[in-house]
Amino acid sequence: MKKQVIAMVMVGGRGTRLENITASTAKPAVSFGGKYKLIDFVLSNLSNSNILTCGIITQYEPHELMNYIGHGSTWDLDIYGGGIAFLTPYTSQSGELWQKGTAHAILQHFRFIEQHDPDYVLILSGDHVYKMDYNNLINEHIKRKADITISTFTVVNNQSRYGILETNNKNQVISFEEKPEFPKSKQASMGIYVFNKNILNELLKEDLETNFDFGQDIIPLALSQKKNIIAYKFKGYFRDVGTIESLYNANMDLIDNPQFLRLNELKEFPVYTRSTNLPPHHILQKCTVSNSLISDGCLIYGDIYRSIISSGVVIEEHSIVRDSIIHQNVRVGAHSVLKNAIVIENSVILPNTQLVFDKITVIDNDFLWGTGDANE
Amino acid sequence: MLMNNLLAVVDATFKDNLEQLTLHRMPGALPFAGKFRLIDFTLSNMSNSDIINVAIFPYGNYRSLQDHIGSGKRWNLDRRRDGLFILPPKNQYILPGNMITFQRMYDHIEYFKRSKQEYAIITAPNIVWNIDFNIVLEEHIEKNADITEVMHENIRLKTFLLKKSLLLEYIMAYDTLEYRTVIDLVEKAPNLKISIYKHKNYTRSITDTFNYLKSNLDMLRFDIGSSIFQPDRPVFSKQKSAPPAKYLTNAKINNSMVSSGSIVDGTVINSIIGRNVIIKKGAIIKNSYIMARSFIEENAHIEYAIIDKQTVVKKDTLITGGLRNPYITQKEQVVSNIEKMRILFVASESYPFIKTGGLADVIGSLSRNLARLGHDITVIIPLYKKIKDTFQESLKRGEGRNIVFNSTNYHIRVYSYIYKKVKHYFIESHDFFDYDNVYGLKNDVERFTFFNKVAVEMLEEFEPFDVIHIHDWHTSLIPLLLNNSPYKDAKTLLTIHNIDYQGIAKNDIIKKLGITDFIYRDDYINALEIGINTATKLSTVSPTYKEELKYEYYGKNLTYSLLKRDREFYGILNGISSSLNPETDKLIFHNYSIESIESKLKNKLYLQEIMGLKKDPETLVIGMVTRIVEQKGFDLILHSFDEIFSKYDLQFVLLGTGDKKYEEELLKLEAKFPDKIKLNLGYDATIPNYIYAGSDVFLMPSRFEPCGLGQMIALRYGTLPIVRDTGGLADTIFKYDHLTKKGNGFKFYNYDAKELKNTIIEAYHIFNFDKEIWKMLMKRAMKSDNSLKRSASRYIELYRAVLEN
Repeated sequence: MKKQVIAMVMVGGRGTRLENITASTAKPAVSFGGKYKLIDFVLSNLSNSNILTCGIITQYEPHELMNYIGHGSTWDLDIYGGGIAFLTPYTSQSGELWQKGTAHAILQHFRFIEQHDPDYVLILSGDHVYKMDYNNLINEHIKRKADITISTFTVVNNQSRYGILETNNKNQVISFEEKPEFPKSKQASMGIYVFNKNILNELLKEDLETNFDFGQDIIPLALSQKKNIIAYKFKGYFRDVGTIESLYNANMDLIDNPQFLRLNELKEFPVYTRSTNLPPHHILQKCTVSNSLISDGCLIYGDIYRSIISSGVVIEEHSIVRDSIIHQNVRVGAHSVLKNAIVIENSVILPNTQLVFDKITVIDNDFLWGTGDANE
Repeated sequence: MLMNNLLAVVDATFKDNLEQLTLHRMPGALPFAGKFRLIDFTLSNMSNSDIINVAIFPYGNYRSLQDHIGSGKRWNLDRRRDGLFILPPKNQYILPGNMITFQRMYDHIEYFKRSKQEYAIITAPNIVWNIDFNIVLEEHIEKNADITEVMHENIRLKTFLLKKSLLLEYIMAYDTLEYRTVIDLVEKAPNLKISIYKHKNYTRSITDTFNYLKSNLDMLRFDIGSSIFQPDRPVFSKQKSAPPAKYLTNAKINNSMVSSGSIVDGTVINSIIGRNVIIKKGAIIKNSYIMARSFIEENAHIEYAIIDKQTVVKKDTLITGGLRNPYITQKEQVVSNIEKMRILFVASESYPFIKTGGLADVIGSLSRNLARLGHDITVIIPLYKKIKDTFQESLKRGEGRNIVFNSTNYHIRVYSYIYKKVKHYFIESHDFFDYDNVYGLKNDVERFTFFNKVAVEMLEEFEPFDVIHIHDWHTSLIPLLLNNSPYKDAKTLLTIHNIDYQGIAKNDIIKKLGITDFIYRDDYINALEIGINTATKLSTVSPTYKEELKYEYYGKNLTYSLLKRDREFYGILNGISSSLNPETDKLIFHNYSIESIESKLKNKLYLQEIMGLKKDPETLVIGMVTRIVEQKGFDLILHSFDEIFSKYDLQFVLLGTGDKKYEEELLKLEAKFPDKIKLNLGYDATIPNYIYAGSDVFLMPSRFEPCGLGQMIALRYGTLPIVRDTGGLADTIFKYDHLTKKGNGFKFYNYDAKELKNTIIEAYHIFNFDKEIWKMLMKRAMKSDNSLKRSASRYIELYRAVLEN
């Protein structure tokens, strides 16, 4: 069935800079904001943009993610003749197809694209936090008769971590550098591209041995061939949460910055997440809970300040949780104190544990071994 | 495991009295514990019991239920074989009863025939519980029972397990056997082995607003909550996406559940908050249930309330109810901080000035009770001759003026009198009202149409009213007149006390009012119908009567007009005055109270004496105070009393007047049983208290009864009512149940002489052979709360809803 647009979502990233958080899961499956996984944002965006055919390209630790996404019914992506397809590494006649980069991964699954024969291919990443109607991007692409459109955002510092592009006064891209030492502008690629399918096909097959990555290889190649590359300036909030610090800050923005995502305030453009099927959380006694997010199924006996509590968490009496992020099904024992901690799912913090840090610290059961007082 | 051997019938055919909460939804679709709906518990129990064949029999508006359940996927019920079936009624005109009938199941007999499961469980969608039906099945088989009834403590749950083949037998025979429901089988079928399975964990059947709020708040008790929400037997609900609840700087929480998507900046104590609720700084919520998407503004104070979806509670508004009588808003209502409301009553009669029937009692007592609650109440009625004669001295004579009606100037004069804080205005018109009779003149419609016109023209003399409360056809043209006046925005509430009288007249009456753009359907107009179409909101005098009016048997020619206004149509029970009290009543022989209930006997002996019956404490005395008309069930009485009084030792006293036809038949009956039946016909029924105090049971087998006050008075005097389940009788009398010992009277369902006979005999047996139970029922009857105060506070809720329309 012919489609105008299909999306290809990269979810293979390992996220090595997230340390133990991604020890056994792919980065898109990392918890966010108490109830979400990073992948929820891109899938909700697709659903809200009514782009209902999408290939999900997996590689690193795909099991949890595949199980989570399922048929995609959470995002209304379980539709006949489209919906979600998992594109996993496979063995072909020419050997095992291990992805060597983003572009390489698309190339391997180009048959999936051909099958739907779209005019445009939307390339997305599964580990960004943002709300975006892709139709605006695609309409711009069509209006400008572009070959490629790159969605961009403005970075204030650390530009060297991003793909930085330079544009002319018509928003045409004139240069592109991946992680430049001396950035030429503050306009950075979001890793979101719209390609005319035929151009994509052409570029990917240009040099099968070296063109592995969109930022490193394909965009510079397209530039050298004088393709019409347009930059689309995305106006909303966009967070790349590649490091512990940026993950923590993006989470805390939900509390500190009233304009960020506005998940509780806006009815339009909802972010969907798979239901945990738990009862509402229960605050059992007189507690202070301020400037915090609390998810379903929690039992709260302690005080919580500026923290994010995921579902199924138990916080026992006289414990204090401050400036922290607690993932699912964590138990915080009585009289414990937490500050600046990210506690990974299923961790058990014994009573009387002091976890007070100056710098954001990731806590898991290994870390907790030997802390606290089990005898209380 | 092999295929599960149970099929499930979810009986959603009955409608309990959950007031506004079930105005737009079935009980099963009611939100519960923040993010669930009641039916989730039943369906999750199915799913956790591996039941894969479920049939839901809905009643009425099941849209929200259907929407919630979808394909049943959430409960593993979207299957190739079996799965979920929603089986609507084929006949829309069958009234909901207390349980699904075999007849209703016969509508979908194919379902029962096709299903392969050997056993069937019939259960309800309004139970909060967590149960494994397979354990019930095991015990059913072990005990070799024909029917197992599932109970919790002494709560009956309308849940039964039986062989499908047995169920099928009774479904097929629905038109030949006397058993209508499985409850009938359990209570009456002689050859069936009935077993009771008692479920131990917390279980509540949600049947009224009190236990709805109470069970919700019970979830805040950790032991109860965790017995319902068990991790290994989860409660599934429709998947929704909302972000985590957000607490801002000023949030203070104590023992509360808060659902996803909410934003809390106020104080929440011992309450349940649904999804996406916003609670602003300074707001205080205690012991309440706030449903999804409500908005509680700054400094609002809410206690013991059920706030329905998308309600807005404005700044500084105080809302307080009680646990037994919670304040209930309705969906999308805006509640503001008007503490003192200005209400205008326009009616044809009001006690104590003029009274021909129950309407006068309601207008008089409701207006005074509202005034006592601090509201500003005005009543306008015509000045009949009788009022003029009796109250001449007290009335203050006002200015005269002219009213144009039928292009003619008519002179009127307004008299006023403040009686018990209520401002009364009486319209004097020598042309229209100055007669001995209130009704029954040839030009009644014209007279009251003129009265409507006067009332609307008088508005210019008053500060604006919040709500204009009009009653029956006599004042039904007021909304139409308002639409053609400078007061287009005035809000009206039309209360229907009796649909039998509608005010039908030649359509030139509209022209006489000076209204020219009215669209006529034929040569006649129907005043009540115009009122129904034009009033801001409508109400009638009991929740059940409100439901009944949707059926032609009750609603007659106005059924369709009422159905169209169903979303704005309410049922509020009338109440009785606190001055009706056996402890202080000067009109009865001997005063008594719950503590001295034995003294009621003295009144009985006195009644027997003055009526000329044998003075015998051991003989059951049946009392009746009524108009003797068809509506009151005299056909049933005349067809059953002969047999009853031939066989049983009973006494019957009746006070009333009415149709000659019935009176003659009754006199024949009295002649046949002179020592058992005593009639007091044609006697003025204004002092019937000695019958209320002296009888053992009070009989009201009405064919229909919009509200009925007799049964409420009987309850207060410890006289157990025997009633038919209709209108206000259905809402105030709870059938004595020998299994649970609950109830406050005796009740039968079909308009059937045999059912009346059986019910009287049931009462006779308990009176004679179970004195302790009888005494307990008397005490319970006396404790029933049908006070005017309760009724008045319901009207206040409704006025607020009218106002914010």
